[in-house]
Amino acid sequence: MRDLYQRLSLSPEASEHDIQDAVMRCPNSALRQDAESVLAVNEHREAYDTLHQTLNDIGCLRARLGLTHGAHWQGDVANDFSLPPDHAISRHDELVDRVSNAVSLYNRWRRWRGPWLLVAVFATGAGIGVVMGFALCLGLAAG
Amino acid sequence: MSMARFSPFELVLLNSRSQVDTATLLLLAWVLVNRQHVSEGQRRRRLAQVTAQFRHGHELGPVMSIAHHQDLQAIQLAAEILRKECSQERSLSVLHQSITVATDDGDLSLANHYILRFLADLLNVTPTTLSTLFYELTGRPLTSPEDPSRHAYWQRHNPDYFNQKAREAAAEQQARDEAAQQADEKHQQRKQKKQRKQQEKQRQQEEAQARQAHARQERERQRQRDDQSRREQAQREQARQDRSRYERAQGERRQWQRTAPPPDRTTRALAVLGLPPGASRSDVRLAYRRMAQLHHPDRFFTESEHQVALASARFQRIKNAYDYLMQTY
Repeated sequence: MRDLYQRLSLSPEASEHDIQDAVMRCPNSALRQDAESVLAVNEHREAYDTLHQTLNDIGCLRARLGLTHGAHWQGDVANDFSLPPDHAISRHDELVDRVSNAVSLYNRWRRWRGPWLLVAVFATGAGIGVVMGFALCLGLAAG
Repeated sequence: MSMARFSPFELVLLNSRSQVDTATLLLLAWVLVNRQHVSEGQRRRRLAQVTAQFRHGHELGPVMSIAHHQDLQAIQLAAEILRKECSQERSLSVLHQSITVATDDGDLSLANHYILRFLADLLNVTPTTLSTLFYELTGRPLTSPEDPSRHAYWQRHNPDYFNQKAREAAAEQQARDEAAQQADEKHQQRKQKKQRKQQEKQRQQEEAQARQAHARQERERQRQRDDQSRREQAQREQARQDRSRYERAQGERRQWQRTAPPPDRTTRALAVLGLPPGASRSDVRLAYRRMAQLHHPDRFFTESEHQVALASARFQRIKNAYDYLMQTY
């Protein structure tokens, strides 16, 4: 399985017109014939696109897991669908980080007796508001 | 450290009693989703059946829906967990399960070809082990996947489309041929008129020649009669000598008589140029020009050496025939 889009330097979302154009310009007659019978027919293109998407996913997974040189990843597929390793962090590490972050937040919350703290903050806020309002009223009355 | 929310799969994983089982579950669901000609209910039932021994302790629904979305990040997470926590035996059993799930009734879909190989690489299973395992489970060897990016694949899988296309092309060609034929007929009619005029002229010339030739022949016949009487005398003597030899060779001669007498060299040479016997000198020249153009070895330069050799043999034959005819005609 080859990546015809890449070989014709097209994007996978290319319109029919673009594809026709690229096929006409293609100098390799074998590739031209393949592209004509795969991409120019809607039915064939749909089937091809589904597999193309899956292979793109697998290529991406392999790049992230360091499997781009696996024993089962060879030939045309490996040539066309291998991606350079991106520096995405390991998903598992990320999950562990996130869980530990959540745990520490929760612990801090519990340590400071969060609900009471919340009530106290609200109470002080309300008290300050009342005092300010009272002062404002006095000022207006004096003025 | 990102502050994004937990994804559905992460939540499932956190609720699971066994993370490896959940990860395996997602990968098996991924394989199942990529299987063709199976209904959704059948997929769920099959997944429940295969994972009856698992200890994950949560619903299969959310995992199945994640697999349906082809959520790349979730699959990556599952793959990482599987690689981190799988022992050698466990990885073989996971591969075993994914092969059975992928090929219950028969064919392995193209996507699953690549997914199974990805899982094998992930679990450190060598190609030979994978192919033996596949053969033991399905009774068929693991072939390399077909290539839908090729013309030949679609010719095999969708011949109707190509037949239709060929028919359309043939109809178009026929229409073009008919137009060409009509043009040709007009051209030929004009040509025939011209030929008729030429033939008239030739006949008049020939008649004049024939009258002259007749007188010459009369004189020759007289001389031949004298010669013949002399020759017959000699022949009678020779015949007596030859009779013994003749009888010895009779068997062979009978065979010779049965087959048609070989055409003489002029007729053969004319046949090589594609002309009927009795063609004129100008016809021969024209035919030679045409044949030489058609069979010249330089025309086959782009094809194989074998073709060039064949063409030069043909060309040589044509040239020999032409040379002979030019000398004798």
